[in-house]
This record gives sequence, structure tokens and C-alpha cells, in this order.
Amino acid sequence: MSEVLLHAEEIDKNFGVTHAIDRVTLDFFKGEVHALIGENGSGKSTFTSCLTGIYHKDSGTFTLLGKEINAHDQVDGNYQGVAIIVQEIGTLSGLTVAENIFLGKEDEFTKFHVKNTKAMNKKAQELLDSYGFNYIKATDIIDKYNFEDRKLIEIVKATHFKPQVLVVDETTTALGEKGRKELFKVMKDTKEDGRCVIFISHDLDEVLEQSDNISVLRDGVLVDTVKSSEVTTDDLKKLMVGREITRSYYRSDYGEQVSDEVVLRGENLTVPGEIEDFSIELHKGEIIGIGGLSECGMHEVGKALFGASYDRKGSVTLADGTKINDIKTAIDHSIAYASKDRDNESLVINDTIQDNICLPSLEDIKRNHVLHARDEKAFAEKYAMQMSTKMQGVHQFMSALSGGNKQKVVLARWVGKNSDIIILDSPTRGIDVKVKADIYHMMDEMRKSGKSIIMISEEISELLGMADRILIMKDGKLSGEFARSEGLKDTDLIAKMV
Amino acid sequence: MSKLQKFRQSHWYGLVLLALIAFLFWAIFKALAPQTFGDFDKLQTYLKTALYYAVGGCGLYFICVMGPFDMSVGANIVLSSVLAVNMSERFGYAGLLIAPMISGVLVGLLNGLVYIKLRISSLIVTAGLSLVYEALSIFATNGKEAILAPEYRAFGDYPGNLVLALLAFLLCAFILKYTKIGTYTYAIGSNEVVAKNMGVNVDKYKVVAFVLCGFFVGVEAILTISYGTSMTSASNLASMARNFPPLMGTFFGLAFKKYGHPVIAIVVGEFIIQLLFQGFVALGAPTTVQNIVTGIVLLAIVTLTIKPVKGAVVK
Repeated sequence: MSEVLLHAEEIDKNFGVTHAIDRVTLDFFKGEVHALIGENGSGKSTFTSCLTGIYHKDSGTFTLLGKEINAHDQVDGNYQGVAIIVQEIGTLSGLTVAENIFLGKEDEFTKFHVKNTKAMNKKAQELLDSYGFNYIKATDIIDKYNFEDRKLIEIVKATHFKPQVLVVDETTTALGEKGRKELFKVMKDTKEDGRCVIFISHDLDEVLEQSDNISVLRDGVLVDTVKSSEVTTDDLKKLMVGREITRSYYRSDYGEQVSDEVVLRGENLTVPGEIEDFSIELHKGEIIGIGGLSECGMHEVGKALFGASYDRKGSVTLADGTKINDIKTAIDHSIAYASKDRDNESLVINDTIQDNICLPSLEDIKRNHVLHARDEKAFAEKYAMQMSTKMQGVHQFMSALSGGNKQKVVLARWVGKNSDIIILDSPTRGIDVKVKADIYHMMDEMRKSGKSIIMISEEISELLGMADRILIMKDGKLSGEFARSEGLKDTDLIAKMV
Repeated sequence: MSKLQKFRQSHWYGLVLLALIAFLFWAIFKALAPQTFGDFDKLQTYLKTALYYAVGGCGLYFICVMGPFDMSVGANIVLSSVLAVNMSERFGYAGLLIAPMISGVLVGLLNGLVYIKLRISSLIVTAGLSLVYEALSIFATNGKEAILAPEYRAFGDYPGNLVLALLAFLLCAFILKYTKIGTYTYAIGSNEVVAKNMGVNVDKYKVVAFVLCGFFVGVEAILTISYGTSMTSASNLASMARNFPPLMGTFFGLAFKKYGHPVIAIVVGEFIIQLLFQGFVALGAPTTVQNIVTGIVLLAIVTLTIKPVKGAVVK
């Protein structure tokens, strides 16, 4: 075993009554990619946030190369040798690329309180060029670049000074193929350089492929540390959940006849710059999967069908002839939509679980035109518990929940609304195996009860496992259609995506 | 990308657009009122007024970019102006220049500290404190009109006003581009939480923004009292009307921020507003009509420049 680079001793962190990290002691070695896995809310991100200065630990110590470190914020963490790339966007609009890369480190270019902007821009451009991102200009306002390019800029920002420990927190879900490749290259370089990467991901295949050792957290407690070469994904699932996941992830039925009854018809849908002449027919009790590369337009299809797209052309019609042109009409006619961008488009993040679940159902909850707090609470509790949401109570604020539990609240909302047509965009993005299994089970139950689902997903296995029909999109258009079949392979779908 | 698209994304586009808008309004009013509007002497007068509003607009820009707001600008101008008159009587030009700057800075400091300590809306904080500043202006003048002695009015006309205003504009542009304050002002305005995680002391820089706003408003007070020569203390929020002229320039600065020249946009923006006002005066339009048309034109210019993204949340 090589030399210990970072030693975490009895790290402890509470959020109110929630014990997020429970005295975790762990070693990270030089030249290692060390994965941290666990269910949503298991404490992975909290642990690394304490290390990198995003949160302040309650007790315990981090020792890097024999010296205790205690980061007060991310930049302070950088100076102490640790850096993090986060899942969400971590760059700031309105600033230039160079200003973003050196945010908090302006003093390196400042003399007598005057910033040498020219030198900063030059240095930033040199760094971007050295990573092979020479099409990104240091002097440009960062808003000019798309999400993926901004993630690449974040990679430069977090790694250019060669931190001893680099935390990659669930970043890969936000990246396309190009971005992942760049990220894995940076991780490999860090490892080969004798430094360490702490890698957080819910994609267990990716974890096994990229890491040397894997530590598993459950409810804030360190369960075990194993060598990647000695375990399988099933072993990891068992460690994460604490029992064998016996139920199959996906549906096991094949060849079931789908009803002929069309419940939703989208015809010649076009949204400028997003989708072009796209048509779809959803049948009663059917799950349609829509897949493709991230920018293929599939995410816009969900919005277009829900009446949430701007400048949409074409028509969306229900079985009774109702035209869906706006969100209110969609909800009033039993259509539900869960966006990929959970925090910004699906949830009222600064509000309670109760309000989030009750929001579209207030008319149904009213008694004699009056809302009763007790009824709202009972309604929210019923559906939050039906989805096994981990919470202190429905009065808890959404912002305190983990990603998986937030998604459960989104789903609880629409289950409570008893919608007949459910559009789910990336329903299991950033979600652990157990919650994934719960969501797939719920979808299957809905299907069996006659509800119709459109599932938009970047995960091919999810499409193959859950959909009755799979539509593949490329450059905003339909490029392939597949019926559910045991013989259908991921390569068949990929061939239509690229 | 076509040449036109490239040009639209360049820094020059904003400047050309501003110049065109200014020229357009000048040409329209000149055509409608050739005798009473827009000759060289009159343009100088319009610019004179635009200059002092623009100095205040520069100060407000620091706050508005971050997200809060300052409703005490008018009260600050009144208080700083009467103090400038008082101190000029004792210390001559030194008093005229230094007293309003210090007074402005102290007003800004108090605004900022109360805002971050009480953690309540900046609108409420600064509106509430405006009553205090107005009361102080009454104490400072005993309720009488403060008149600046004729020997200290050099900053009321060219070249004194231009020199002082230019120094203020250069200072504002320098702070925005060449100091950490500028970078952090934009960073906090973009995402306070991420800025905090990057080690930016958000509370400190919010106070700094209020202090800078106060300082520039103090400079505006020097120009105001020098040009107007007298100031009456205010009460019952009568000073509120003085908040809006500098704010109009700030709107232009915010709208043209993406082109990288907010200070130029503030100055030219104020000049455009003056062209509009004076154009209507030249046409003999009633004040109400002037206000309606000016308000609509201001909204139209800012809306067309920003081109909000469909579906974007605007607060």
C-alpha cells in the first residue's frame, strides 16, 4: 500500500437533528482514485464539502501530508491543497472566463490593490490552451459558453494549481461524452502524478472502471472500504443499501400488448433551435422512452408536450380533442411533468415538502372553498410516505433534502394529483440504486393501472429496461424507433444517436 | 458567424448603439424645433445636467449590479449639499469638496451596515434611513435654504464640472475593471452563494458597494450645489424625487453591461434622457406628457437592449 496522503479522523457533522456524518475515519492514498458511494443522503457530498470548505465540520480532523487542514471556504481549501468540482454549475455569469478561473485568487495578480487584468487573462489563456480548450477565450464573458464548456472551465479552475486532493462530486452526470473524456483524463493525470482523486458517482459501472478503492457510506456512517478489483456492482449495491436488492431493477415482461387507445398525440412539433417536425403518439398504459445524446432536443420534447415550450409550432392533442398549448391546460387535463432541472424547474426549493406536494392539488384539497392546514398536511404526508421520502416531516424545507429525496417529492406531487399522463425527464438523474429501483417499480405500477408515461432519459439501460417503445432523437429529429424486445441491444440505439 | 453577428457581440456594438440612439433623438427634436433645441450651446447645457446625474448613477451601479437598492440617494444629495455649503463657508473649496464626500461615505456606510446587520430589504432600510438623513439636513440648516457663496461655484460650470465628473467616471471605471471590488460586485450579483464559497466576503463587499454609492452621490452633491447654487433641507421623504434621475443612467449601465462599458452607458444614457426632456421643453409639451413619453422611451430602450430570454425569471 502506498503512503497515506489524506487522513480523515472522526469527522462529524450535523444539520439540525440530522446526523449527516457520524465520526467517519478514512485514509486516502497517494496515486489513488478513491470512490465514495452511498444512497442519496448517505453523507458523501457532506463529507467532501467539509474537506473542501463548503461546509464546516462539527468535529474531527483532516490531515494532509501530515499537516492538519481546515478550509474556511473553497479558495482557502485550494490554498491548503484540496479542490472540488461540483455537480451544479459553479461558474458565475457576468464575469469573464479568466475572472471565473481566478475568482478569490485575484491577489496573485494584484499590486497596490490594482488588478493586472492583462496578466490574469494571459495566464488563464495559457491554462486553457494547455488543457486543449483553446477555443475558449479567457477574455470572453462566460455566459457565451454552454453548460458543458462552463464545466470544462470549472475543471481548469479546480485543477490548474495541481491540488493534492481533487474531489469530483457527481460531475459526470452533467457532462456529455466530450466532457467526461476530459474529466477522466484529468483524474488519470492527477493519479499518475502521485496525488489523489475522491470520486463520487451513482454510476457503479463508472465507479468500478475509474477507481482503485471504494468506500461506502450509509446514513452518515462508513460501512466499508473495498478494492474495486475485488467487487462487483451487486456487491456494492448490497453494501450501499444494507441488503441484497433482490427485485430486478427493470421490468421483466416482454411481448405485452399495448392498448390501441391513443391518449396524447403530438404532431409536427417544432421548437426553433431545439426540435424539428417531431411527432409522437402515446397509448394508454404505455411507457415511451425517448433517448439520444444530451443536446439532441429530447429534453425540449417533454416541455413541448406539456405546453411549456416557447414558440412551439405543431399541435399537442388529447384523446378528447383538447389542445395543449399551455401548462395550466396540461395540468387541468391530468398531464404531469418532472423536469431534468429538478431544483430550478420542478421544485420550489425554498419552500416546504408539504407545499411542494400540495401545490398543483390545492383545488382538490379544499373543503367548502377553504384550505385547511390539517388536510394539506395529511395529503402531503400520505404521498411523501408512499414514496418513502426520507425526511424529518413534511414541514421540512426542500433545500435540506438530498437529490434522490427531492425527486421523490416531485413524484409524490404528481402521484397525489393522480395524473393520467406523466412526462418524466431524466427521472433517475443523480439518484442512488435503491431510489432508482423504487421509481422503476412505481412507473411499472402506474403503467399497469392504465397510466401512460413518457420517460426521457440519457441512460440507455433505463430505456431498454423500462420502455414499451423507444424513440431515438438526433439533431432535433426522430432518427429511430424500436419496440420493446429482449433482443434489443444498446448498440442498436447508439447507432441511431450518433 | 457573419460579420454583422460578430459585430453585434463585440464591445463596439454597445457604443455605436448608444451613439445612434443619442443622434436619433437629437435629430428628431432638432427637426421638430430647430430654433429652440439642440444647438451647440444648448447641448453643452444638457450635458452639464447629465454629468452630475451620471456621477450619482455610477454610484448606484455598484449596488444595483449586486441586487440591492438605495432609496436614500436623494436624501444623501440634500444632506451632503447643505454640509458642502456649511463647510465651504469655513474651509473654502476644501470644505466644499471634502465635506460632501465624507458625508456621502458615512451615509453609505450606515446604509450598508444596517442592511447587512438587520438582514432586511435594502429598500426598507434605505427608505427608513432617508428620514434620518432628511432630519439631519434640517438640523444642519435650521430649516433655512443653504446658498453656496458665488466665489465657490467653479464646479457649477465648465471646465470645473467636467473635470470633477471625468475624474469620478474614471475612478468608477477603474474600480470596476482593475480592482477586486469590481470583480466581486459582479460575482455577488451573479450568484451570492457561489461567490461566498469562493472566499468572497459577501457582507463586506456589500457594505463597500454602499460606501462607494454614497461617495459618488457625495460627488454628485458637489456638482448639484455648485450648479444649482442653493439647497433646501427636506422632510417627509420629499428628497425621493432626486433618486430617479441618477437611477435612469444606472438602468442604461445595467442594460449595456454586457458590452463592457457600463460607465460610458451611464453617461450617454443620462445625456439621452436630457435630450428627451429638453426636446419636449423645446416643443412646449406639458410636463405630464414629457414624463409619460420619457418613461416609455426609457423602458423601450432598456427592453430592446436587454432582449430578455423567453421564460427567464425577472424580479
